[in-house]
Order: sequence, then C-alpha cells, then structure tokens
Amino acid sequence: MAIDEFLDNLPPMDLMRSEKMTLVQLIIPVESAHRAISYLGELGLVQFRDLNADKSPFQRTFVNQVKRCAEMSRKLRFFKDQISKAGLLSSARPAMQPDIELEELEIQLADHEHELNEMNSNSENLRQSYNELLEFKMVLQEASGFLVSHDNHTVSEERELDENVYSNNSYVETASLLEQDMMRPGRPDQSGLRFVSGIICKSKVLRFERMLFRATRGNMLFNQALADEQIMDPLSTEMVEKVVFVVFFSGEQARTKILKICEAFGANCYPVPEDVTKQRQITREVSLRLADLETTLDAGIRHRNKALTSLSFHLAKWMNMVRREKAVYDTLNMLNFDVTKKCLLGEGWCPIFAKTKVQEALQRATFDSSSQVGIIFHVMDAIESPPTYFRANHFTSPFQEIVDAYGVARYQEANPAVYTVITFPFLFAVMFGDWGHGICLLLGALVLIARESKLSSQKLGSFMEMLFGGRYVLLLMSLFSIYCGLIYNEFFSVPFHIFGGSAYKCRDATCSDAHSVGLVKFRDPYPFGVDPSWRGSRSELPFLNSLKMKMSILLGVAQMNLGIIISYFNARFFASSIDIRYQFVPQIIFLNSLFGYLSLLIIIKWCTGSQADLYHVMIYMFLSPTDALGENQLFWGQRPLQIILLVLALIAVPWMLFPKPFILKKLHTERFQGRSYGILNTSEMDLEVEPDSARSQYHEEFNFSEVFVHQMIHSIEFVLGAVSNTASYLRLWALSLAHSELSTVFYEKVLLLAWGYDNFAVKLIGLAVFAFATAFILLMMETLSAFLHALRLHWVEFQNKFYHGDGYKFKPFSFASLTEDED
Amino acid sequence: MAFVVTTLIFAAVGIIASLLVRICFSGGPSANLLHFTLVVTAVVCSWMMWAIVYLAQMKPLIVPILSEGE
Repeated sequence: MAIDEFLDNLPPMDLMRSEKMTLVQLIIPVESAHRAISYLGELGLVQFRDLNADKSPFQRTFVNQVKRCAEMSRKLRFFKDQISKAGLLSSARPAMQPDIELEELEIQLADHEHELNEMNSNSENLRQSYNELLEFKMVLQEASGFLVSHDNHTVSEERELDENVYSNNSYVETASLLEQDMMRPGRPDQSGLRFVSGIICKSKVLRFERMLFRATRGNMLFNQALADEQIMDPLSTEMVEKVVFVVFFSGEQARTKILKICEAFGANCYPVPEDVTKQRQITREVSLRLADLETTLDAGIRHRNKALTSLSFHLAKWMNMVRREKAVYDTLNMLNFDVTKKCLLGEGWCPIFAKTKVQEALQRATFDSSSQVGIIFHVMDAIESPPTYFRANHFTSPFQEIVDAYGVARYQEANPAVYTVITFPFLFAVMFGDWGHGICLLLGALVLIARESKLSSQKLGSFMEMLFGGRYVLLLMSLFSIYCGLIYNEFFSVPFHIFGGSAYKCRDATCSDAHSVGLVKFRDPYPFGVDPSWRGSRSELPFLNSLKMKMSILLGVAQMNLGIIISYFNARFFASSIDIRYQFVPQIIFLNSLFGYLSLLIIIKWCTGSQADLYHVMIYMFLSPTDALGENQLFWGQRPLQIILLVLALIAVPWMLFPKPFILKKLHTERFQGRSYGILNTSEMDLEVEPDSARSQYHEEFNFSEVFVHQMIHSIEFVLGAVSNTASYLRLWALSLAHSELSTVFYEKVLLLAWGYDNFAVKLIGLAVFAFATAFILLMMETLSAFLHALRLHWVEFQNKFYHGDGYKFKPFSFASLTEDED
Repeated sequence: MAFVVTTLIFAAVGIIASLLVRICFSGGPSANLLHFTLVVTAVVCSWMMWAIVYLAQMKPLIVPILSEGE
C-alpha cells in the first residue's frame, strides 16, 4: 500500500522510540583495566552489568582500593567540616599544580589529618588551661570581697595596717605563690573557721547551697556573687554564667563532705589566700598567665586557619578525584577475572551509535597504558530486554521525565513524550484559561529561562529546583494559557472586545426586555473566542457549562483516538499483525461507534441549531434502538445508523476478547511442534557463560488460561474504560469553571468593592488583598491543581490505550553523573 | 464561510511555523520530523479549541439575559 511505503520511507523520529542498544562484551587486560574504565567513564555511554551480583561487597576483587577511597573521602569530609567550623570560605584556586597520583594523595591526606588533629588537641588543652585560669581569676576577684568583710573586728585594724604597709611596699616576692601547695584552704583561724572557695554554674547554685546546708546540718555560711564575664563551657561550647561562692565551715569532716559535694556538682574549687597582699600577687600572676595563654591560643588558631586555607584550595579537586576513583573501582568490581587471571571480562549495554566512540576510547586506553595486548570489544545477542535510552535535549527532557515518572518506556515502544510536549500544556491551559494569569506565568517562566546559566550552577532548594527544572514546561503552559484565555475571553475574569464588537444586541432601541427575554444575535458569531456579552449575564453559566462539557468530550475522544492509533503504530513496528487485527480494529470500532458518534452528534447539533436532547438520544440508542426518534432526529438516516453502530459495538467486544488467545496458542504449537525441550544455547563464545549473563535460557511455556485471563482483563478494562475515561475528561470543564468562578469572585467582590469607596486607603487595601489572593490561590494553587489533573489525564486516560511502561532506564557509567553527596 | 476562512488561516499559520522551525532549529532528518510533529500537534490543538468555541456559538439555543445593574 502506498501509505505503508510512505510510512516506511520516513526517517525514524528523534524521540519516538528508544535508541537501538546492543549488549557488548569487553575483554580487558589487567594493566589497562583502570585506564580503560576511566576513559569509558569520561565518555559516559556504557552501562555495565554487574557480573558479581551474588558476591558481598567484601568478597569482591578490588575491595581494598574501595576501602582506601572511602577512607580518603572520610578524611576530605573531615577537612571540609573543619573548614566550615572555622568559618573560612572555601575558595578554589585554579589548579596551577600538576595532577597528583592517588597514592601520593593518600599519603598527603594522612599527613594533613595528623597535623590537623595535633593542632586541634593542642588548642583543646590550651583552652582548658585558659578556662581554669579565668575561673581562678574570677574567684579571686569576688572571694576576696567575702573574706575581707568576714574577718573579725578584732583583727580588722591589724588588717588595715597590713594593707597600707604592704601595698606601699614595692617589695615583691620572687617565688610565685602559685607554686606553693594550694590545697590547704588557708590557715586555720582562731575560731577554727575555714572556707572553701570556688565557682559553679549559675543553674546549679540553688541545689548546691541546699545540699551543703543539709550536709553540714546548717553549720555553714554560704556567700555567692555572680561572675563578671561568661565562660565558655568546653563540653557544650557555649558561654555559660557562673557564680563565685565561698563556703565557711568548721571541722575536718565538714571539709571532706563539702569537697565531695563540690566534685559531684561539677564546681571547681580554687584556693584563695586570706592575706590581701598574697591575693593581689596571685591575681597579678594569674592575669599575666592569662595574657600569655591568650596570645598562644590566638597564634595556634591562626596557624590552623592557615593550614585549613591552603587545604581548601585543593579540596574540591581532591574530592572530585577521590569520587571518580571510587566509581572506577566500583565498576571494576563488576567485572570478572578469567581463568588465566590476566584479563577482566565485562558485559554492558551501549547504544549502537556510540560503538565507534567506545572503541576509540578503548584504543586510547591501550596506547596510554603501553599495554601489549589490545582490548577486545564485540557485540553479543541478548535475550534480556535492553534498557531504554532517549536522547532528549534540555527542552524535551522535563517532559520525558514527566512520562518516566509513571513508567519508563519498554525498549523501542512508542514514547508518549512526543505528544505530551504539546498536549500536556494544552490541557493545562484548557483548565487554566485566563490570559492575565497566563501573562503572569509567562513572566515567571521568562525570568527562570533568562537566569538559566546562573541558576544551573547554584545549589537550589528542592522546590526551586523542581520549578527551575520545569521552566520550559512552564513556558509552554503559559503560552497556551494566554491562547486559551483569549478564547475564553477572560483577563482576570474581565472580557474584552479585542476581536470586534459583540454579536448580540438589544432587540429594540430601549433595551427594555434585555433583562427578561435577553439580547438577540444579529450577525455572524464572534470571530475568535467567546462573545463578551456573555460575561455577567444570567444565562452565562448554562451556556458556558454546555459549551465546556461538550468541548471536554470532543477533546477527550480525540486524545483517546490518538492513543489507539499510536498502539497501531506500535503493533506495526513490532510486526504483530495479531495485535492489529484483533486489538486495534475492534478497539477503534468500539470507541468510535459510541463516543465518536456522540462527538458527531454534538457537532451536528451545533451546526444545525437543533433542539435535540443528546442524553436522550444516546440512552435510547441502547434501550430502544428501533423506536422512532421524533424531535430528537438530527439528520436523515439517524435511526438505521444508530442500529448499525450499536451492532458494530456489540460485535467488537467478543472480537477483542476471544480470537487472540486461541491464535497465540495455535502459533505456539506450530512453532514448537515435536520439540519438548527448550532452545539450546549454541554460540561460539562458549567459555564460561556468566551466571548473570543476559544470554541465559529462555523459558518456553505457554499457559493458555493465563493468556486468556490476561486478554479478558485487557478487554474489560478497555470497554468499561471507554465510558469512564470519557467521563473523566469532564474534569477539563470542572476545573476551568472553578478557575473562572474564583477569578470572578476575586475581581467583583474584592477589587470592585474596594474600588467603589472614595477612601484611598481602602482602595489600596483592596488592591493588596486582590493581588495576594490572585497570586496565592489562582496562580499557585490553581496552577498546581490544573498541572496535576492534566498529568492524570495523560498518565491514565491517554497512556492506557497503548503504553506498557515496564522498561528500565539506561544509566551509563559516567563521571558527569556522579553527584556531590554520594557517600 | 468565516469558519472555512479562519480554518485556512490556521493551516497557513501552521505551514509558516513549520518552515520557521525548520529554518531556525534545523537538526538531522529525525530531529526535523520531531519538530514538524510538535508544530502540527500544536496547530491542530489550537484549531480544535477555536473551532469548538466558534461552532458552539453559530446557532445558539439561548441568548444572554442581562442581569440587574448592567
């Protein structure tokens, strides 16, 4: 047939069917294995099959290398952590240094880690001493106040004298008082009163005091004062408030009890000498030591930061390198050693168009690793189904992802994405139709596309990432929305007279009966879209409902017919004439004799302006097909036509149900006549057939009951689905009505209401409320809603006519697809 | 009459669009076929939408009845 020839001579359409894939076998000598896999990773066109799937990760050949890589990436993550904790920005200096080998990198990383750990522990120790000294200083400051005030009156004058004498004296003791034994908490007083001084967290002070009171049976005096500064708690690295306390008590046992309680509560005790001079001296020494420690700490931090900065230059590059190496070793683990242990065998899938590129990469690898033996690369036959590979550019790939989210196409079956690119935004727009909202969406999409290069290099949040990934979908959705908005004549629910005057006018000059009987149509229908006179009229909803419901049915029947026709092309491609004769033909007949006929009736009713009731026509076509039609007659010969269509539909059901299983059974017995065993696996390459190889045995069973039940399910699904799917398309009407009503409410009840007042503030508030309501409810919620329903219509009503979707996606081994947070 | 004219206008727009796409985004023959399919699908969808709304208004069974306050 001429059509068949024409169809056969067309070039294959780009996205329509998966690229042709082939199973390849690689035999790689060990010395060039690593390089070969690296080059293939750069090329990114081969998907390796795991030949060692039954081995645990620890039984594989290159497990040590993988462990080393994991260890290196752990070190690199540690460095990254430290850099971010230190608050340094990681900048990547352009790589001036030559590339280093993996072993060298390992050694360097170990050195750096050791150094960093040492620096960290040193500064830990220093910080601890610093804290202790700081606490001691605070205790000295506050406790001296208590001790002075506590002293007996009898010695107060003596004390004053001492103070004056000793403070004017410039005599300084050479031996530091800190060196003396500080555990004796001061010389015993005449009254045997002793004291313990220390510092404790503010949150524990109350309980501490109470515990001390109970333990000493009230024979103690507790003085406390808040410390001046906050101290960094080493465990929680926060600044906490501390309180200096002094406990006066008598007796040795009380002292042990108090010390134990101090230890339990984590209070640090510092001995404070009673002598004022000594106190001042110690305070001076402590301050000096503190200043020293501070400088040392600062120097330490600066040194560490310098080390970290120099690391951060190379960090990204090293992480990349380690990730690549780990991926290469993971892939090498999928290959098998052959008997001589000198070669690695690998199997993989590769698109046929990439064969030459792969061969060239392998040759380069052989040459670069100066290996004597070349790499063998040849194609094999596969019983298992190949992965599906569509070469989509970044315009078509979001649509492909939408289709893949439901199911990846079977190898070489028709790809619905080809039509989804246009019909999905179109059906969205049918539900969203408002050209004002469409312009808002368009602006958003254009902003995303304009900043494409900037946004694609950034790391975005998950919502923004989805939005950015779908920018071309958004663009098409907005363009179609503008178109449908012009057709529905809605600009934020306001109609315009863009395409000329309305086709309706008052019956007479006074418009007296405009509110009762209505206007009259005096010329041709409005040339483009819905007539603007309808908006706001009382009969708007009946007219629009009728229009949109019929529109939904027409669009639905058209899309379902497209689906069935695609199934015809699938059957033709796989040369399955059974499917054509006993599936495609009855399906087309059934759908069109019922719902195609309904569409025809709709169009005829519109063209003739007949008053026939289509519900009545359709129902009585089934209930009493031979009765006279009366006023429901739309055209001559309608009754015989309806009887014929009904008979055709009734024949179509067993036509799609019965013949196919019987014919399949007949074909099966013909094919395997006399043979009771399966196909023998004869091939030249008979060295070990890998257990996981794709060339495993093909099971030859034909279970008739299973096939029959499957066909029955398929037919029932189609027959019942014809009714339910057609009704499902009515959601196009429902959502577009909802959108239009919401839009009207916001316009009339918010904006117009607020605009009616004279007050400027009210107008502004009204405008703001209108803007927010439009943005959040109409632009965001309605967009998501219409998106979802358009998606459902595609996934279920369109795709269940022809799509199997049980394939798997081609995932080549490629360095470009290694993601950041893989570990 | 107006229906036929506008249908022809849609067809003309379709042809011009396919030519433009062929000139601007030309790839291999497979890619060209894909672009052609996309353009044809878009034009057919748009035409169907317009045609449905136009036909529905040709011989209407109800007319606009103005509500109060217009």
